[in-house]
Formats: sequence, structure tokens, C-alpha cells
Amino acid sequence: MTAVATGAAAEHRPMTDGGRSPKLDLWICWWTFPIFYSLFGVIFVLLTKVMPPPRPGVSVEQINRFFDHNATTIKLGFAMLMVFIGLSCVTNALVVVQMKRMSVKPVFAYAYIATLAVGAVPGCLFAAFAFLAAVFRPDRDPQLIALLYDVGLLTFVGSLGCFTANYLVLALAIYLDKNRILPKWMAYITFWQIATELLAGPVFIFRKGAFAWNGAISFWEGTVIFSVFLGCLIVLLRRAIQQQPVDEPVQD
Amino acid sequence: MSRSNAQTVSLWLALVFGAVLLGAFVAFPGFFPPMSPQDSAHEVAAFYAQHTTMIRASMIVFNLCAVMLIPFFMVIVYQMKRMGTPTQVLAYAYLSAAASGVTLFAIADLFWLIAAFRPDRNPEQIQLLNDLAWITFIAPVGMIVAQNLCLGLAVYLDARREPIFPRWVGAFSIATGLAIVPSAGAAVFRTGPLAWDGAISFWLRNGAYATFMIVMFFVLRKTIARERVEELDAEMAVGTPLDGELVS
Repeated sequence: MTAVATGAAAEHRPMTDGGRSPKLDLWICWWTFPIFYSLFGVIFVLLTKVMPPPRPGVSVEQINRFFDHNATTIKLGFAMLMVFIGLSCVTNALVVVQMKRMSVKPVFAYAYIATLAVGAVPGCLFAAFAFLAAVFRPDRDPQLIALLYDVGLLTFVGSLGCFTANYLVLALAIYLDKNRILPKWMAYITFWQIATELLAGPVFIFRKGAFAWNGAISFWEGTVIFSVFLGCLIVLLRRAIQQQPVDEPVQD
Repeated sequence: MSRSNAQTVSLWLALVFGAVLLGAFVAFPGFFPPMSPQDSAHEVAAFYAQHTTMIRASMIVFNLCAVMLIPFFMVIVYQMKRMGTPTQVLAYAYLSAAASGVTLFAIADLFWLIAAFRPDRNPEQIQLLNDLAWITFIAPVGMIVAQNLCLGLAVYLDARREPIFPRWVGAFSIATGLAIVPSAGAAVFRTGPLAWDGAISFWLRNGAYATFMIVMFFVLRKTIARERVEELDAEMAVGTPLDGELVS
């Protein structure tokens, strides 16, 4: 009985505090959200030109010219990503803590963090490695540089499953939650995210048109919905933290 | 009690496998001195042809043993969860970063082994695999930096009367994280201290991290011992109060 009691003590975690802001860690983590995704935009849109993606249906010469033109900004942007990708872990953890406040068991919360721990490497960093390797030696065999172009863009646009699973557990948790930590309509937006991942499946088949990796459906539609999703998530998390009682026990 | 035992075992696993990894580090022919990013494709191919056996042996050892450090990181996660921080958010961030960070090493290891698989491959292809191995090994420091900054912040926010870790561990953790940041430059520079074989990117990064692991080994030993004393005290003092807590 005693052993059980010692174990149970960990479940009740009142927000202790010695005079500091009682939710300081949550607010620090919340701020990493807008900071990380602003940096993400600067890196992927302005610097490395991965978003919107360059065309898939191009010749080896055109690919090499793309890297020659953008070498400096690719180096700068992806070197920054090497450091700042760490912030994504902090943003994941914030969502996890809010999911653990929901009435559902923390299974979905743990699944959320696990799917994103998987997704960070193929879904984000692999593109950086491929592009960095491509511009690391401009004198490399042009065919190999063309290979790195495909590796970078297909892994970036085409890493679907880790994020599909991630959206699924988040949507389910919000939908089933009786504590209303996040509003139910957020579950529907998150379900839409799954649809966009499914629609990106054909990027592995088509080299032009709406379903190519730079296409109206595979890329643009997905990116627009993702932006809406992300904006809502950031605002709603802020509200959730504000409404979180300071001494609320959270399930372990 | 059993909780403490899992932690002690994890610490000793880290010590044993840390020693094995250090052995593999010394055995890999490309670390003393580290291979130069300036090597031509033919030089790289010649290196793989000449040292095939030792490259494979050391990288297979890395492959088997590097992920064995995960239980050690999870001892830190568990202790972070015990802290008197407002929430457990930093512990989860640490867990997430540890998982992704070790994945990166596992991928770098595979690139080295694939490069060594056919030393008679076209030298340009061996050089590409070697580049990918080194860039993936040295440059993506974000996960380690996030781990160390989260740990440091959590130590400062720990409001327990007897903090889980002494405050200096927080400063030390953050300093280690910051020392590792410049290694991101290894993805870009081919010469100088920031190149993957440079004083900062290679030696400072790996030295700082090894030192951090060794120091944390002793810090955690002390923390686990103190936790055990706390548990024993709680059991002695018990009888009804803890049962009462369970009911409430």
C-alpha cells in the first residue's frame, strides 16, 4: 500500500512556486511557438527556397543552376536550422502538457510527442542535409547534385505518415476531451490536416501538375490549411495557458 | 525502491557503453585526426579502401551501442519530472529532443557504414556518403542544445526546498549547450575551426559533451541516493499519512 502511495504522489503535481511567475515554463514554451515558426518561414521561404518548392520537372543542368544561384542563402538558412530545430521539441512539449490536461488518458499525448520525434528527422532535417551536401561541393558530379535535389524535396514535402499520425492523435484527443482544453472546432481543422497529407501522397508519382511536389493541391492547398491550423493552435494554446488554474493537478 | 534500481542500472549501462563508445571513437581511423573536408574524392575513396575493416568494426560498435545512452537521458527526464517546476513541460521537451538527437547519430553511423560497404564504388559517391555522414554527425546540434537549455532552465525553476539538482548543474548544462552551438557551422565551412574537423566543431563539441555526460553521471548518482533516502524516510514516517494521501 505504501509503495502504491509513493507512486501515486507523482500524479498530483500542484504548480509549486517561490514567488516566480507560476506558469513561467509554459509561457517560455509558448513563445517558442511564434519564434520557431517565424524562423521556419525565414529559413524555408526566404533563404533556402524550399517553400514554395522549385519545380520537380527540370533538367540536371537546371538543378545545378538552382544550387549555384542559391548556395549562400541555402548555407545560411540550413545552418540556422541546425540550431533552431531544437525549438520544435519545446513546442511539441507544450502541446503535450495541454493534451495531458484533457479528460482522455495521456496515450494520445505520448503518441503526439513520439510521432513528432520521428517526424523531425525525415520531415525537416533530411531536406537540410541533402541541400547542404549539394552546396558543400559545387564541383560534385552534377548527377549526384540532382539526386540530392530529389532527396531534399521529396523528404520535405513527402514525409506524410509521421504528421498524419500526429494530427490524428491530436484531433482525437481534442474531439474526445470533456475538459474543453481546446475547442472542438480545432479538432475539425486538425482532421483537415490529415486530408492534406493524404492529398500529398502523389508527389512521389507526378513531376508536374497539381499533384507534383510544387503543385496547387500537394503543396499550396496543404500549406494554406497548415498556416490556418498553426495560427489557430498558437492562439488557442495561449488561451489554454491563461485559463489553466495554477494549482491544477495534472495526470502523470 | 525499484524505481531507484532502474535508475542505477541505467547509470551503469551508460558507464559501460560510454566506455565502449570511447573505445570505438579511438578505433575509428577517421577521428584521430578527424578526416578533412578538403580531401578530394580520390583521397576519401583511398581512405575507405585502406581502412575498411576498422571503419566497419568501429561503426558497427557505434551502431549497436550509441542508442544505449537513451536510458541515461531518461533518468534525467525522470528527475526533471520530480522537480518543483510549475509543470513537466521541460521534461517532455527534453525527452523529445533526446529521441530525435540520437536518431541523427544513428543515421550518420549508417552513412559511414554504407560508404565502407563497397570501397570500390565510384569515389564521388563515396565522398558524398562521407559528406552526409560528417554533416549529420557534427552539424545538427539543435537537439542537444535544446536538451541542455531545457535542463538548465528546469534546474533554475525547481522550487523544491532541496532542489533535485544543485543550481550549478543548470549553469553547467546551459554552458555546455552554448559551447556546442557553433558546430552547426560544420555544414558550411570546409576549413578553419568551424569545419567538421576544426578545433571548435569537432574537439570543443565532442569534448564538451563527453565532459557533460561524465559530470552528470556523478550528479545523478548523488540525486538517486538522496531520492532513496527520501523514500525510506517517507516509508518510516508512514503508517497512515501516505494512505490518507492516496485516498484524497
